[in-house]
Amino acid sequence: MKKHKGIRKTILFFSLIVITFLINLPIITMILNSFKSNSEMRTSTHILPQNFTLENYLHLHTQTMFWTQFKNSVIVTFWGTLLSIIVAAFAGFAISRFRSTFISIYSKSLLMLQMFPIILVLIPLFIMFRHLELINTLYSVIILYVTLHLPFAIWMYKGYFDSIPRELEEAARIDGCNRFQTFIKIILPISGPGIAAVAIFSFLFSFNEYLIANIFLKTEDVMTIPVGIQLFMQQYSSDWGSITAAATLTMVPVFLFFLFVQKYFIAGSAAGAVKG
Amino acid sequence: MSLLNISKAEKPLNRRKIDWAPYNFLLPSLILIAMINLYPLIVGVMYSLQDGTLIQPGDFAGIQNYIDLFRMSEFYNSLYFSAVFAFFGVIGSYLAGLGLAVLINKDVWLKGFFRVALLVPWIIPSIVSIVGWRWLIADENALLNEIITFFGFSSINFLGTEGGAIFSVILIKIWRSFPFMMVSILAALQTINNDLYEAATIDGANRWKSFLHITWPSIKGISVVCWILMTIWSFNDFDTIWLLTQGGPINATENLIVLAYNYTFIKSELGIGSSIAIVSLIILMGLAYLMLRFQEED
Repeated sequence: MKKHKGIRKTILFFSLIVITFLINLPIITMILNSFKSNSEMRTSTHILPQNFTLENYLHLHTQTMFWTQFKNSVIVTFWGTLLSIIVAAFAGFAISRFRSTFISIYSKSLLMLQMFPIILVLIPLFIMFRHLELINTLYSVIILYVTLHLPFAIWMYKGYFDSIPRELEEAARIDGCNRFQTFIKIILPISGPGIAAVAIFSFLFSFNEYLIANIFLKTEDVMTIPVGIQLFMQQYSSDWGSITAAATLTMVPVFLFFLFVQKYFIAGSAAGAVKG
Repeated sequence: MSLLNISKAEKPLNRRKIDWAPYNFLLPSLILIAMINLYPLIVGVMYSLQDGTLIQPGDFAGIQNYIDLFRMSEFYNSLYFSAVFAFFGVIGSYLAGLGLAVLINKDVWLKGFFRVALLVPWIIPSIVSIVGWRWLIADENALLNEIITFFGFSSINFLGTEGGAIFSVILIKIWRSFPFMMVSILAALQTINNDLYEAATIDGANRWKSFLHITWPSIKGISVVCWILMTIWSFNDFDTIWLLTQGGPINATENLIVLAYNYTFIKSELGIGSSIAIVSLIILMGLAYLMLRFQEED
């Protein structure tokens, strides 16, 4: 019986290894391709690079706008994440702690907003931002990222704040703190996991987003990476070396950030994403 | 777990005075949402009733845009494709997510590794996944075709034929979506007490019966929510389709969102573009309503 169990465990393990490998195959081949020369990519059928080379990365580094666009992506992601974790924290706290007709309508509307076809608001915003001369600036994209991520972030915070006992605040209020002070001094300092969960989703959303950036960022020097790679793919469709190298580098920040906050991500997506 | 279960909040300490504190807390988010969601929504409805271009919105045209839209075969085509895309996307990603969730919920080595490695398709940028996939399916010599021909079948033109393109976008949509299903189902699976399965085995239940009577009841709620959410997200999907096929070949993979984008930002027909977006909104609100109803029942 015990041996039987061991065999089944081994089979399960190796099946999962194979499945995981197959699922990640597009990414694995992409990374491997980025270390092949363009001519090798065209002619060779080997999956592993036969002549390992860094020429694609060198080309990307010296001949393209990649780092400018990388910097743009970092700026947009930084502000998008920072502002949305702050603004959403206040709103999430209000929805978790206070009760009124307005608040309950507001919190339900937030849920509806999440189902919005974004394109609907992008059309008027494009015209509006053109009058404000915000097209082709990072501001346009940042303000959109912050706002569009709010409903999800607020609901995630609400779930987290609901789990914090109220007695803590009551004690602080008896000691003379007002609501704002209570929130800043008592609640926020113990909300690390909640903030981390909101931050990772906001980070991923801002860093990965394509549609909005594609509409509002028109010239190469202000583009974020997703739009930059897409444009590069159209212009130099045969230069797969640079394309795969750019895509590989793009994944690095995502993976790094993800590894740091991975446990909050899984907890958060289970609780927040499904609820909201 | 219900969405609508607004928590029992503390009563204002002083009942007579209006307590402004909650509104101060809500204010920043309210301003942003009013500016970026609410105002454009109203303007969008108005644009859908106007002539004109993206550069110069025109005169009031009544419901002419909608009449034009409902006469366009392209519209019905994209409505149909949106439905097909969402339907197979949801089914495929649910089944894959369920299967993998059940597998990694078992006592397996390197559980943490699998749980992270299987999330990769979900967390990477859409553009990166398309770059990765393109290489696998781009032409006759692409890896997937090498494998197909190795097994003696003729190679498939994934991106050049209508059927191939539809298959490809759905496949990649499933690939990008299943981790969400997996994580959600896994969370529900972990609440099940394993003793139940042992008791069922002793009582002579086979695996299918244990699944039906123990597993399914505890993942049913989350499953329905995931189906509806994923339907909404698939309906709203732009990246997968646009980055892979741009809606082509011809209109084969054009969903409502891509259609709205095409009319507004490529053809600059503001009225038609906005009316497509409004129609999408109505469909999505219907789906959202379904979900809220379901959660209230639950």
